[in-house]
Amino acid sequence: MLTKGLAYGWLSARRRIGEMVLPVVTTATGAFLVVIVFGMSEGIRAQSASLGHADEIGRALVLIVITVLLVGVVEVAVATTRTVAHRTRELGVLGANGVPRKPVIAALLVEPVVAAVLGALAGVVLALVTGFVLDAMGFVPTGVAVSGLLLGSTIAVGVSIVAAVATSIVPTWNAASRPPIRSLSSGG
Amino acid sequence: MKHGDLTILCVETPAPTTVRSPAIATAASGNTFACLVRFALANIRRRPERFVLSVLGIALAIGCVVIVRTISSSFAITGADSVTDVLGGAQLWAVPAAGVHYDADAQALVAAGPAPEFVVPDGWRAVRTLSGLTDVNGTKVSLRGGDEIPAGEAVLGSGLAARLGVSDGDRVVVGGQGLTVAVAGSGQSMSVATGLASTVVGERGWWTIFAPAGDEKRRDLGPTFGAAVGLPSSTDPSVVPDPAGSGLIYDTVGGTGPLTFEGKFSALFSGQVTSSTLGLISMIGLVLGFIIALSSFLAAVAERKREFGIMASIGLADEVLYFFLVESGIVFVVAYLVGVLGAGAAVALVIPGIATPMAWLQASAMVAAFLPAMAIVGALVPVHRLLQQRPVDLLGGR
Repeated sequence: MLTKGLAYGWLSARRRIGEMVLPVVTTATGAFLVVIVFGMSEGIRAQSASLGHADEIGRALVLIVITVLLVGVVEVAVATTRTVAHRTRELGVLGANGVPRKPVIAALLVEPVVAAVLGALAGVVLALVTGFVLDAMGFVPTGVAVSGLLLGSTIAVGVSIVAAVATSIVPTWNAASRPPIRSLSSGG
Repeated sequence: MKHGDLTILCVETPAPTTVRSPAIATAASGNTFACLVRFALANIRRRPERFVLSVLGIALAIGCVVIVRTISSSFAITGADSVTDVLGGAQLWAVPAAGVHYDADAQALVAAGPAPEFVVPDGWRAVRTLSGLTDVNGTKVSLRGGDEIPAGEAVLGSGLAARLGVSDGDRVVVGGQGLTVAVAGSGQSMSVATGLASTVVGERGWWTIFAPAGDEKRRDLGPTFGAAVGLPSSTDPSVVPDPAGSGLIYDTVGGTGPLTFEGKFSALFSGQVTSSTLGLISMIGLVLGFIIALSSFLAAVAERKREFGIMASIGLADEVLYFFLVESGIVFVVAYLVGVLGAGAAVALVIPGIATPMAWLQASAMVAAFLPAMAIVGALVPVHRLLQQRPVDLLGGR
């Protein structure tokens, strides 16, 4: 049943790809910054060393990029609330036909996960390209660390998916738990 | 709020007695804002998750900016303190050709070369201070030499005394010589007698110059003194001395513009942070947060089309702006509070060495300054979207 829910969610996510542009872009921005900051951590350390407190500034920087990534991912959740509002009647039909809550939630969560993954991957790819191009052109005297880029990419993708699911689950849970008669009559 | 009287509450017919109606009218107009707030709260309650999400997004963004601004204000405070500590009320500051720099470990300004040589003109008073770095129990310390310090004594600023964990009467060893500690003033420097200082730091140092009595406030002290001793002068701390020259005089009184020399000096420090990667990233975060606010307001408009159609069809067109202003105001104020408190907790945990409560308060005030603009633009965009459409389209939609 769960797989059917996922397949249903996948089909509707493909239909609504246009709606995902904004969340994908915001997530990509956050992921891009995370990867770039991790990849160029040496250069940034050198820059903050001139200010003093290099370690603390480095920690603050990681805190800030992860926060920016989270800001980007919140847009995914906002888009999910929009989707849920659009599809209230559809959810009512599903509920009235006796589809249990879990597959419905799984179907609704496909879209935020797809948006988060797409966004994170787009950001990561862009950051990798930027990093290597900057490195090749010699703009980064301290070099771009491949291990840093990989660590940044893992963090970006992981945090995006976890945060997208965590913030999207409440609106989808509420929508799927509503009595079908209310979803059907509220229009939309 | 001149259209305020048109809100729904006031549609209630006043009581027929002429005596009572003015009382009701004032009561109603006084309540307009309360009505708007209640209306906004009702809307927020209807879609709590969207409110939480937009608050979360903006709060995270505001948190980012507050963290960066806290760091930069903390640097600005450090910069202002360090230069005030050096100047000690002098009007001019003659620095060596190699310049002075802020040493992050010693937390004080340190000269990089020998002080310029000159003969002090009549009437002026110049104090030569040796300045360099030394090591006390493994801690890097800024060492200054002054003629007024008695031999066998080391005068420590209270900041440095706290850092080294010494107090009045303790002994410290500088340049192989045991000295008695005296704590005086604030600051992060240790002052010892000139002879001892010159054995440790050599001839490195600077002059602080006091103008003749009565001339302290003149705007041309720098050029006057510079012409007398043959040194260039500047009122801008971002100007560095010519390495091939013989030095530079910073004029702390003259110059145009509202900023004091200390202000400009500390702006150099905070500018380093805000123009670094940190500042750039936090600004991107703020833009993202604003986009989230806008997109969630626009989503609310799309959902409530019919409601706004009804309002527009009974003549409430401009008033819709007030609904949105109050709603976006509530969102931004809550997000601001959450963001500022969250950032305070974050800086206290992650960067306790940099963040001070004062810097955090300054940063919060700074961020509060551009919050109204964001809230107003955030309300205007959805209203603009609504006013583009005719009421009948709004009513017929969906």
